[in-house]
Order: sequence, then C-alpha cells, then structure tokens
Amino acid sequence: MKIHSLLPEDVLKQLIVSEQGLTEKEAEKRLAEFGPNEIKEVKKKPLIIKFIKQFTHFLAILLWIATFFCFLSEYLHPGEGMLTLGLAIVAVIFINAIFTFIQEYKAEKALDALKKILPFYVRVLRNGKERNLHARDIVPGDIIFLSEGDKVPADARLIETSGLMVNNASLTGESEPIPRVPDKFDGELIESPNVAFAGTTVVSGSGKAVVFATGMQTEFGRIAHLTGAVESGLSPLQIEIIKVTRVIAVIATVMGVLFFAVGYSIGRTFWENFIFAIGIIVANVPEGLLPTVTLSLAIGSQRMAKRKALIKTLTSVEALGSVTVICTDKTGTLTQNRMTVRKIWFDNRIVDVRDFKKGNASELFKIACLCNNARFIDGQYRGDPTEVALLRAAMEFSGEIKAERLFEIPFDSERKRMTTVNMVDGKRIAFTKGAMEGLLPLCSHMLIGGKVLQMDDYLQKKVLEAYHSMMDMGLRVLAFAYKEIEETQNSELKTQNLENNMVFVGLIGLEDPPRPEVPEAIKKCHEAGIKVIMITGDGSSTAEAIAREIGLVKGAPVIVEGHEFTKMDDRKLRDVLNKKEVIFARMTPKHKMRVVSMLKEDGERVAVTGDGVNDAPALKKADIGIAMGITGTDVAKEASDMILLDDNFATIVNAIEEGRAVYENIRKFISYIFSSNIPEIIPYLAYVIFRIPLPLTIIQILAVDLGTDMLPALTLGAEKPTEELMWQPPRNPKERLLNLKLLSRAYLFLGPIEAAAGLFGFFYVLKSGGWQWGEMLPANNILYMQATTACLTAIIVTQIANVFACRSYRESVFSIGLFSNRLIFAGIAVELMLQFFIVYHPVGNRIFSTSPIPITVWLVLIPFAFILFFSEEFRKLIVRRF
Amino acid sequence: MYKKILAAINEYLNSEIAAKYALNLAKICGSKLYLCFIAEKGLSGEGFNRAEDAIKRLFLQADTLGVEAEIITERGDPVRKIGELVRHENIDIVFAATRREDIERRFYAGTVARSLSLNLPCSVVLVRVVHIGKIHPKKILVPLKARVNHVKERTYFTAKIAEAFGSEVFVFHTPKPISKFFHGEIHLSPLEWEKHLPPDISHFMEHMKRYKVMHGGRIIPGKTGRTITVEAFTKRHDLIIMGASQRSLLSSILKGNPVEEVLRETPCDLIIFRPRHEDT
Repeated sequence: MKIHSLLPEDVLKQLIVSEQGLTEKEAEKRLAEFGPNEIKEVKKKPLIIKFIKQFTHFLAILLWIATFFCFLSEYLHPGEGMLTLGLAIVAVIFINAIFTFIQEYKAEKALDALKKILPFYVRVLRNGKERNLHARDIVPGDIIFLSEGDKVPADARLIETSGLMVNNASLTGESEPIPRVPDKFDGELIESPNVAFAGTTVVSGSGKAVVFATGMQTEFGRIAHLTGAVESGLSPLQIEIIKVTRVIAVIATVMGVLFFAVGYSIGRTFWENFIFAIGIIVANVPEGLLPTVTLSLAIGSQRMAKRKALIKTLTSVEALGSVTVICTDKTGTLTQNRMTVRKIWFDNRIVDVRDFKKGNASELFKIACLCNNARFIDGQYRGDPTEVALLRAAMEFSGEIKAERLFEIPFDSERKRMTTVNMVDGKRIAFTKGAMEGLLPLCSHMLIGGKVLQMDDYLQKKVLEAYHSMMDMGLRVLAFAYKEIEETQNSELKTQNLENNMVFVGLIGLEDPPRPEVPEAIKKCHEAGIKVIMITGDGSSTAEAIAREIGLVKGAPVIVEGHEFTKMDDRKLRDVLNKKEVIFARMTPKHKMRVVSMLKEDGERVAVTGDGVNDAPALKKADIGIAMGITGTDVAKEASDMILLDDNFATIVNAIEEGRAVYENIRKFISYIFSSNIPEIIPYLAYVIFRIPLPLTIIQILAVDLGTDMLPALTLGAEKPTEELMWQPPRNPKERLLNLKLLSRAYLFLGPIEAAAGLFGFFYVLKSGGWQWGEMLPANNILYMQATTACLTAIIVTQIANVFACRSYRESVFSIGLFSNRLIFAGIAVELMLQFFIVYHPVGNRIFSTSPIPITVWLVLIPFAFILFFSEEFRKLIVRRF
Repeated sequence: MYKKILAAINEYLNSEIAAKYALNLAKICGSKLYLCFIAEKGLSGEGFNRAEDAIKRLFLQADTLGVEAEIITERGDPVRKIGELVRHENIDIVFAATRREDIERRFYAGTVARSLSLNLPCSVVLVRVVHIGKIHPKKILVPLKARVNHVKERTYFTAKIAEAFGSEVFVFHTPKPISKFFHGEIHLSPLEWEKHLPPDISHFMEHMKRYKVMHGGRIIPGKTGRTITVEAFTKRHDLIIMGASQRSLLSSILKGNPVEEVLRETPCDLIIFRPRHEDT
C-alpha cells in the first residue's frame, strides 16, 4: 500500500495533517527531520583529491623515489648534475599528472540544469492560511495549491482537482499533457494519475495536494541522484594506459635494480651505480606518452566536431571506437521526425497518397484540418509533427478549411484522442481523431460513398482489416470520426455528450521517413560488428517496419514491448539482449537505464542516445552517453559524453570510425615513442658493461622524450581513418594496447637499429677526435660533448625515418601514400629545428650539454635512417606475404 | 523469537512512523508491543502533547490490528530508561527512529541511536524515515556483506518484516571488484559473480526459503555504500534493511563507512538492524 492507493480522505490521516494544513511548529519539526526540499549534489571525491591522486599512482611513486635519491645525491655529492635531473623528473611527474587530469576532467553541470527545473515559490496551506513559501521550505504533510503555469515543487498526492492537466515531460519524456484526478489508484506510484510529481508543470486547471516526498526522495530527486551517482567507470583507454604504465614501471625498476647490482659487482661505486640506475629508469619511462595521448585525443575530438559530434570528455573519443552496442532512439535519430501522410483509407479502400486525387475524401480531410492544433503561419507549418503532417495533407488535397472552434477536449496519452467542436455551415459538429482502439467503439455509423450507414460487424471487420494492413506497413494509423450536435445539446458540451454515436469516416496512415544516411550507417555498424538496438516509444509494428526499411533487422527480430519488459526478470532480459536482432517497442526513457546496465554487466561497451531529463541516468551509466543537440534538454546534454549537433544516427557511426582511428593512431605513436627507448637504454648498458664514457646523458634522453619526439608522434595521431577500420569487429577487451607484437617491433626491431646508429655516431666522433678505448672523458670535454651530440642526432635522424615506418603495421608506406599525411612533414621540420637548436645554439648547448658537430657527422648518420625505413618495408612485405 | 517488542516514541513524526514497523512486526509475530515515550529534560509541553498524541494513535492502530499493546510514559534519560525497561521487561527487540541531526554527525558519534544500539542487551532496530508515502513496503533491499553473523535472526527478522507487508526481498551483495596488478580490474558477468557468492550469504538465502517470502539475489561489484543507494534508486525499493556497522572509528575514517553512506543518501526508509539472539 502506498499513498496513491488511499482514498483522498484517508491521505491526510495517513500523513498526520489536518485540513487546515500543518502548523508552523510541526512544519519546522518536519523540516528539521526530513531536510529542505532541494536537489543535493551527490557526495563525490573533490577535484583537488582527484588531482592529487595523479601524483600517487605506482609510476608516480617510483619517480618520486628517484627524485628523492637525486636530491640526496646532490646533497652528498654536489656538482654531478643530480639537482637538474631531480627537477627534470619532478617536471615529468607534473606533466603526466596534468595531462591525465585534463583527460579525466569533466565539468559536472547536469545537477545545475536539474535544479533549474524546480520552482522557487509555492502556495501552501499552513495554520488554515494560504501562504507563499520558498519551495525549499516545503515538508512532507504540507498542503499545496496548484494552478495553470505552476511547477510542482515536490511529490504530492492530489486530494482535489478541477480539470487539472500536467506535463510530465521531465519525468516520462512524454510531452502530451495528462489529466490528474484525486481518485485512488492501485497501480504503480509512478503511473498514478492522483500524484503530481516534482519538476512537472501544470498545463491547465487547478488542484490541491498533500506533499509526501521532498528533495532527493522525490521521483525527480531519484533522477538527480542517479545522474550524480552513476558512473560509467574508466574508459578502455584509461584502463590500458594504467596497464602500460605498470608494465613500464616494472620493466624500468627491474632493469634499474638489475644493472645496479651488475655495476656494483664489477666494482663501480654506489653513486655511479645509482646514477646509472636512475638513468635506466628515466630512459625506460616514456615521458612524452601521456601528453601525446592527450593531445591526440584533442585532435580526434576536433575532427569529430567537424563531423557534427561534439565531444565533452577527451577519453570519450577513444571510448567511442571501442563501442560494441548502440542503443538508439528512433524518432529524430533514425528517422527525420517529420511525419508524412502515406496511405489513406476511405470508402472501404486504401489509397497511396501519391495516387490520391484532389477533392476526394473531403470529409476525412475536413476532420484532419479542423481537429488539429498545428498552424500554417508565414509560409511555415508549426506544431506537433503528426498534426503538421495532417494539416499539410488536408491543405494539399482539400484546400484551406476554416471554421470557428467552439470547444476542445485536448489530446492526452490516456484517452489517445482529441475532439473539437466547430461551427460548419451553421451546424455544430464534433470532430474526433485518435487511436483506433479508442475511437471505433464510440462510432455507431460509418460514412461510405457519401452515405451514412449503420455500423455493423461486417463494417467493423473491414475497418479493422484496413487498420491492421496499414499497421503492417509500419505506418502510424489514426482514425477519424464526426458527429453533428443537435440544438438540444447546446448547453452541455461535455466529453460524454460529444464522444458517442459518432460517424466513422476513415483512416490516415503516417510515416516518419528514415534519414537518408541511416541505412548506410547501419550497414557500416553491421560490418564493424556493432550491434544496434532500437528503443522506441512507438508500437512494435511501426518499429519493426522502420527497422526493416533501414536494414536494422533482416530476419525475425525479438521485439519486446514496455509492459513485457517490466515483467521480465534479469536472466530473461539477458537472454533477449543476447539475441542478434532486438527491438524494444512502447518503451519509456526510464527503461533505458536497465538495458544499459545489463549490457554493461555482460561486458559490452555501450553507447546510448537520449534527449529527455529522465534519460540522464542512462546517459551517465553508458560508456558513451549521446545527447541530441537539437531536441535534447539541457540536463541530457550536461549528462552526456557527446552531443550530436544534427541528432543524426549516422553521425554516431562517423564518430565511432574516428574513435577507432584514434586508437589505431595511439598504437602507431606508441610504437614510435617506444622505439626510441632502446637507443636511450643501450648506451647506458654499454657504459656500465664496456666501461666507456656515457654516450647519452639523462637530460638528452628527456630532450628526445619530451621534445623532439612529441610533434612527429602527434602527427601520427592525425592519421585519417582507413576504410578497413570499419570492416573489423570491435576491439576485444582482452586485447592489450601494449601487446607483444608492438613491444617486439619497437624493442627488438626498430629500437636496435636506432641504438646502432646512436653508438656508431658516438664512436665515430670519439675516434675521429683521437679517443682511445678505455679512456674516460670529463663531462665538460668538448670531444665527449660532440660525441653525445652525435648519439642524440643519430636517434633524431632514425626517428625521422621511424615516423614514416610507424604509419602502418602491415601496409607499405608507398601504398598508403608517402604524402597522404602532410602534417608529418611539419612535425619533422619542427623536430629538426629543435635539434638544430640543441646542437648549434649556445643556449641549447648549455641546457643539454651538447656541442656543435660538423655536417659530416650528419652525413654518416643519414644512411641509418634509410636502413631503418627499408628494413621496415621489408618486414612489412614479409608480414603481408605470410 | 520476538515475544516482546518495544517501540521508542518521541515528539517527532519519524518516531511514529518507525513504530509502525514495530507494530506490523508485532502483529505478524504475535508479540506484545510496548509503546514507550521517555520525555527528556526540557521538553516543551507542546512536544510532550505531540508525543502523547502519537502514542495514542499507535495504540488505537494496535488495537485495530489485534496487537496487545502497553503504553509507558516516563521522564528522564531515554537511553538509561529504555535500558532499564528492556532489562526489567525482558524485551527482545527495540525499535527507535534515527534523527536527521544524527546522520549529520560523523559515525553517529554521541547520538541516542548509537547509544541504544551499542548498550541495549537486546536486538536493536534503528529506523531512518525519509519517505512517508511508501506506507507498506513492497520491495525490500537487503544488502549483506560477505561475513554475516546471527544469520538465523537476520533471516527471521527480514522474513517477518516482508511477511508483515507482503513484500518481496532482494538480497544484494557488493563485493570489491577483482583486480590484478598487470590486468587491472577483471570484468566478470553476473553469472560468474554468482559463483563467488560468499557462504554466509548462501546460508542466508537458504534460511529465507523456510519462510513464505518471495526473494531473489543480485551481486554487483563496486563501492558498497554508493552501489546500494544506486540499486535502491534504480529499482525503486521501498525499504532497505542492513546490518549495523561493525567498523571501528579508525577503520571508518580510513576505509569509509557504507552504513553511514547509505544513511545519508537512502531514497527510502532504512532499517539498521543489530541482532543479539545467538544462532542455535
């Protein structure tokens, strides 16, 4: 038993309030107990804590420890450059923290949008007197007054009403006004017509109600809580990045400790070994990875914006690419939300609108025109899409019909019909249009061939046959009837007097045509292994017909209607969701959250579309919540990860394609970035094992990782999606970003070539300067500085070839077009400029401990770039062949 | 199990609503109901009258339902007086309402509710009333942690409350997500999670079968407090029954306190149950 199933007179007793309302004292006590009537933010981790967490994860802790030892080393052995190194590592920690935070940051404004829906002031009965109170002071038990234009402040049980109609769009997504009455109701509270819900609006009439739930305990509060509390979790890329950093951290630590031990065993001092270990760790950590990933996502989001998909969180860019299921609305997303009259049934025959002759079925179009609230103003039709379609057809086939309207019973979703009374040729006529099941029983006659015949079983059967046949065509079918009102009925224009003994005239079938781009987008989804589930408020016939037309279903789909859905237990629903073709018909937005949750529990990566206030929880729950830019409410837009600027399904598919490209591109530049780790590590190993001068300093490593590598890596992030991307199934969640294939290519193939180039350059310069094996050179020795500069230059030169090599794993660069990504050349130009600055500018020399090298050194290094490039082309050829 | 039930009433509406749960439990268990009002020092006359009115209304309802009821009105410290009553009358279970100001204090420290829960020698039910429109709960959410003590009494209490209102019981468990160092969080489907159902919860479910109550179970990994409230909001549960927190103050500060989180965010009435009857 709940409040809505009580008789109005028992409601006050149950809520312990008199007809005079609460006393101020009691209201005060209740306010203290139940709290203010307001939407509260769900308690979440403060932004500052989220930011601080970026400094405390495994890799960051490892780097902090390294920093500590650097500073300790500087304190104990000043002048060995450990301070610079310590500061550089701190910079790396900050850069990574800031870029990760930028990726994860999303302004939470959905609740602000929700709060705006509630009213500020309410008329309340307290101590027998009507008062105007702030809505936040309303308490359970307060008696409130509602009238036209009011926003309902809290969930309240109606005890008196007079023609009260409310718009529940904020809760149900249904924009048609619905009547409210005080009578008891035995169904679900949310469906109860005797309850006025917080956040809804009074469209007409008035009423008196007792508040039974306030603030977060209202249905509106429920949406607010779910919108604030539900989290979709980490995006696939975030999960992968965490794994990558852990793998790298462990590799770096193990190598650092191992070589520390080796160095110690061959008799090097503790501090020498320590500096070496730090060097190994720094060389292993891809410092530029997170900034590059973040910037690449930003580039991806800009490309998506150009394709009318506005991305709100950067990580969503890649998450889109991993989507396995799209749950989509029908109207406006798959279809144009532009109703058009397709078929007409009158005089016992169905006529296609294209074959229709002007002047026929004039009675039918008279009703379609007069029982209609759409208007033709300034050359444009305005109003509800269905009514606009009827008015447009009526004006086209019967011309403009004008008749004074005397009375109207508005459409409501309970009765599913509307009636108007118009003065036509001096007669008062009631015109009704609405759903077949409601209208046919009201008709005692039927108009055929201009004659009014008694409705009998045969005619009823004919009407029903026509109706079903039009429904099977996927049309939305409306029935039309009229009734002449006799003079004696003048005084009482009431529903019960008007809607009986009517004359049935005919049926009109309307269709909301699919968007022209949608069939191709659906085909792409099928090719890309993405399942599309239609969730619509329309009936199953209409939904199925549209689904077939756009190619969404081909076989026998499982169609679940809203009432079946609510009765299904999780296990059964899970079975349904596992079917290949699924359509949910006659659904309301509140059902979406369950569908999304179950799909996610089964490991799917879900994108869901929504536009209403009550879509917000599902939008938050999904991996990718997609709000409609044109028809969407502010709440839906704020709760979403992506906004479709054109409300078009095809845009989602385009965005997925971009998302997949971003992931592929991230792989490309990870190959690129990781390749340069080997020429950074090998010199260190050579230093410790062969007792040679250190070929590459730590600060030079950072120059590569955070300097010269960055822009070329970013240009790999700008590679355009290839057609093949949408021919592959969604990425397997078990597939790692940093897999063995990628690591072995970077560490065992590309990296060693670069390392060979680096060491060659280093020894070439040393030998040319007369250096003898085993001779140790001081850090400020010009020859030594030139040698390290040559090593650094060798890495840069081979990385230039590597950026081309990393554009594909299998395909030859010549087949994808050497010049198809022109940004790469800009990236290389910047890389070279930076390198010239490091090598030839005194400031660059000072910062990076370099010294200018002659052109001949460059010339001996360039062949290594060609070796790398053509070796990789040869490897690709072998991969393609075998 | 519950022959004598005591409901503590005060001048606040929520205590009257909390007592209705006691009243319905008394009816289904055939227990005697003690309607007890201890007027604290400094209580206004109006407050006193309000509490007395509430007691009278409850007494009349008890009479209508055929429940034997006794009214006890005294002045003094509620915790001490109720303690004396419990010992003197051999009360089996006490119902008391939590106040909104209680939940605003961290970890319930220093509240009457906490004192009753800790000090009474019988089982204690603390009721947090937040929604007075759901008179008879139809869907009861029962979050359970992996280790459950007093399984028999918990099952009995839950089943009897459900029987009293003709409700369906949904047992809910929120384990920590499984994660590995190199793989991060491991995703398991609901069916896979079912294989990880802790034995105590299986016991609870087994015991539930003895009662004529519809019940089901669900495991959703996540942060306990938040996952419970999201489940309650999503599935529109009418009542939550959960065990009292057994975390120490230090543990609550370090790891958080799910009971406290649910108390703050519950969308429906919440019963915090501390059983004292030993399993035999």
